Amino acid sequence: MEGGARRHTFMLPGKLRTCPSITCQILPFFPCSARLQGSLGLWKMYGEGFKQKVSFLIPECGLLPEVLKSTIADIGDYYLVRSLPIHELVAHEFIDAFVKKGSCYALTYKTKIDQDNTAALLPNGKLILSVDKDTYEELGLQGRPSRYSGKKVMRYIITIDLTDAGFHPESKKHNRVLWALKEKKPLEFDFLMAWYNTGAEGSTLMSYFSKHQIQALRPKITFSTLRDLPCPVLQSNDLQGKPEESCSTEELFEWLGAVLNQVSLDNKSSSFLSTYCCPEPNTVVEKAFLCTITGFIIPEKIIQLLEQLCCYFGEPKLAYWLTLTVHGFADSPVSWRESEHGFHKGGENLYNFVIFRNLDYWLQMAVGAHDDCPP
Amino acid sequence: MLGSTSMMLHHTSGISRKQPSFPPLMGYSAVALNHVIDFKEKKQEIIKPVPPSELFPSLPIVQGTSKRIKVLTRLTLVVSDPSHCNLLRSTSANIRLYDIIAVFPKTEKLFHIACTTLDVDLVCINVTEKLPFYFRRPPVNMAIDRGIYFELLYTPAIKDSTMRRYTISNAISLMQICKGKNIVISSAAERPLELRGPYDVANLGLLFGLSEGEAKAAVSTNCRATMLHGETRKSACGVVYTVKKPRKVEEEETAVPACKKAKTQA
Repeated sequence: MEGGARRHTFMLPGKLRTCPSITCQILPFFPCSARLQGSLGLWKMYGEGFKQKVSFLIPECGLLPEVLKSTIADIGDYYLVRSLPIHELVAHEFIDAFVKKGSCYALTYKTKIDQDNTAALLPNGKLILSVDKDTYEELGLQGRPSRYSGKKVMRYIITIDLTDAGFHPESKKHNRVLWALKEKKPLEFDFLMAWYNTGAEGSTLMSYFSKHQIQALRPKITFSTLRDLPCPVLQSNDLQGKPEESCSTEELFEWLGAVLNQVSLDNKSSSFLSTYCCPEPNTVVEKAFLCTITGFIIPEKIIQLLEQLCCYFGEPKLAYWLTLTVHGFADSPVSWRESEHGFHKGGENLYNFVIFRNLDYWLQMAVGAHDDCPP
Repeated sequence: MLGSTSMMLHHTSGISRKQPSFPPLMGYSAVALNHVIDFKEKKQEIIKPVPPSELFPSLPIVQGTSKRIKVLTRLTLVVSDPSHCNLLRSTSANIRLYDIIAVFPKTEKLFHIACTTLDVDLVCINVTEKLPFYFRRPPVNMAIDRGIYFELLYTPAIKDSTMRRYTISNAISLMQICKGKNIVISSAAERPLELRGPYDVANLGLLFGLSEGEAKAAVSTNCRATMLHGETRKSACGVVYTVKKPRKVEEEETAVPACKKAKTQA
């Protein structure tokens, strides 16, 4: 992708099916759910956080299978609430209705993590406020200095656990937090919100915040079919690539970034923008399907999409591999799980799955300079 | 309070209405409009700064956020003689109306005076020609202790390759003395084409010998500190702030009997 000051990329090769014996036999027609059990459980740990963009690329595919189309159509809406005072997220009615039932996600909209105050609500019930020095001193809540702040601390992180047993309506903790956020220093933001509930009945975000300006938005979905695309040849058990045989993981990562950003790969002499070419060895595929979903996408839906993509190889297909790339928000206060995310010169935090026909997979994760290494 | 971001110093000789649209599009959340006074020319008077609300009826919103850009006024005094500094020492009413005061010393003696005694926020470093003097540690350290920041310009480096060499060499010689502390990088842009985005300017700071954190601070945190330094000039020792409040006539009448009472009791 684009070069940052320090970009860390981590590779995790793995098998998508459980190996009962030491000598692993590759069985391409394993049922989907059994294969994914082990790795997806692991993935649910990494996959938390707020995701801004999901793209997948399937070579040798002209039409999307129906089951994938319906999964994409089922992505669900997210909501934009304007000028919401943050003490509303600490109110017990909100906690009981949304935070405790299902997974509620909220992130401030149009706030920059290195300049402004930012807030995020994680599905585990933690409200994270990333505030600058002046706001922290005026707010009066306990927090810790940001890890990326340097000697002169200019940014503080306040974490409030809304599901904590000590946070019930009459407790000192709750009263203090409410007083700080409501009277001492009222903070108001535009929030992007989404709620994933496992079928429980109750009010929806739309009805709860009807007094504020709330808007339901659909993620933007674009489909495109790329013609005559040179694709690198990959071997699933060969991460470093072999000259003349397969490409390495770094080469694939760069190539994928070029394709997703619609950079032309033919290195024409008249083009001044890019001299990038597809890495060797490569094959030219007649058609490839690229889908991009942009919006506020919750990890549960991404996991469903991932499961369906794994099932794509359930029937014989021409493609040897397909990729799924997920980008997090550049201005989110957290990246992986609850590790702090900062914006130095770039705020990228993304992961990329490469799924092979034999159900091996590669997992690439990239973070920016002010980020934790993924566990 | 300003969400700590870049401060871009903008020379205005002819203010056009279209100019304020560019800095917020690049991501700057505060801009300072500069007025230069060169004492070499005769009959230079410090005029009152034009308030930003008169210049730009509605301030544009910073790109990527929902806040409006902040516009400050700044005065730069080009001093080449010690007598020019008398203006700063006198409590001229017009000087106090500016948010930030900067001084551009032309000789070593004036640089020493600016760092040690003058009541300014910024000391400008010449980037268009070879420095006529070397920086020495005592005045630089004293300026750092007093909270004065050194300003480097990047627009001359864009315009001309000779000036680019002087900019980098002067900046590096300053870094060797001040170790990257208290640096502000600003543009002296007169046209929108001479502006660069804040992250690009922070990258330029790396060429000047700053570390990554110091370079980013040079366009964000240090600028905020300069603004606060300027604000303290309007207060008593930076602790007490006075605001003019309209007094009602009845309050005065009731105050008088209370004083009389106190006198009789005493």
